[in-house]
Amino acid sequence: MCWLLGLSRSGVNVPGVRMVDASEGLLGIEWIEGSSVKRLLPSGAEDSEEGVDGVSAEDQNPLDAFQLSVDALMGLIGVEIAKMHLADIVHGDLTTSNMMLRRPSSPDSTPELVLIDFGLSYHSTLVEDKAVDLYVLERAFASTHPDSEPMFASVLEAYGKKMGKEWTALRRRLDDVRLRGRKRSMVG
Amino acid sequence: MESLCYPQFDSRHSQVHIALFRNVSNAAAVKARIIAASTAEGEFGEKEREAVNFAFVEARMITSKLHLETAIYQAILAESQNGLRTRTVHSEILYNLNPTHNITEAIRRYGVSEGTADVLVVRIDSPDLSSSTVEQKMKEAVKGDIVPLSELSQVTDWATIKKYHKLNNELAIKEAANNPSREHAVVDNIVVTSVAMKSVMG
Repeated sequence: MCWLLGLSRSGVNVPGVRMVDASEGLLGIEWIEGSSVKRLLPSGAEDSEEGVDGVSAEDQNPLDAFQLSVDALMGLIGVEIAKMHLADIVHGDLTTSNMMLRRPSSPDSTPELVLIDFGLSYHSTLVEDKAVDLYVLERAFASTHPDSEPMFASVLEAYGKKMGKEWTALRRRLDDVRLRGRKRSMVG
Repeated sequence: MESLCYPQFDSRHSQVHIALFRNVSNAAAVKARIIAASTAEGEFGEKEREAVNFAFVEARMITSKLHLETAIYQAILAESQNGLRTRTVHSEILYNLNPTHNITEAIRRYGVSEGTADVLVVRIDSPDLSSSTVEQKMKEAVKGDIVPLSELSQVTDWATIKKYHKLNNELAIKEAANNPSREHAVVDNIVVTSVAMKSVMG
């Protein structure tokens, strides 16, 4: 929760905070008009919650309502994660259900990707932590959405472009993480 | 004047009244009266304290109705938990609006001062106190024109707000620099979040 203010000051799209009741442990955040990214991608929607706002038919692409291509959506995801990592915040639980696409508030604006659920987040400047953050998302894509490789590749492309010179080391580390998994090698 | 209700709170402070006064001519007198009332004794003191029993907020410093409402909500919350850091729920609103923990500074920046022309007047009370009574009391305290809250957007002093919240070097502001309406939305979002989170910030 304490990351939300710093992230919004850094220009990362995160929910606005509306109230905090520390003694009861309550956090009130804004309502985001839109949909989780998970439900916008193939196979993401569970049968019980098929369709966005009940408007889409069986085989209609829910992304059409946002006038956005899958590729453009992946670009938004990559840019938003890069902005967060440039602010040295690691999300800790990146999945397509922890991202929302906000419906444009006016006809001349575009949909906005919002990162949510910072319960496992922490501050880190380490390439390792950011690479693991990306790896966790890659695994989430693979287990949630079929044929996700090209989608995740688009995420990384936009991410790399936004990260600039930090990307070279990060890409190399992501390859290492893919070989060994999320946890660093343990003794024994 | 607008009224809103927070039924989750005890009725003694569940009703909120907000009015925007423009062209205020007696800001200096209002300020002097608040100060005098705080130490006045006896029946006269009680009467004076009731006459200025409002939050008088410098409207220039408010980005949106949501900004003010967030400060009001956190003030009622603090009062309901006996956690006020200032003397009244109304002064707590001014305290909540200021990014630092300095009460004097909060009153200087967000309260009325000699040059104030636009004032947001807030009364937190029980629903037993009727809106018309509240509006009458507001008009007796403040000399100016009551206008719809939507006129707030004509009053907001974005440059000073950015300065007080130290936003000028923030990436979010720089990215929106060439688009005023976008920048205002970004600033509003940051200051509302700041007010809501103030109680848990170091």
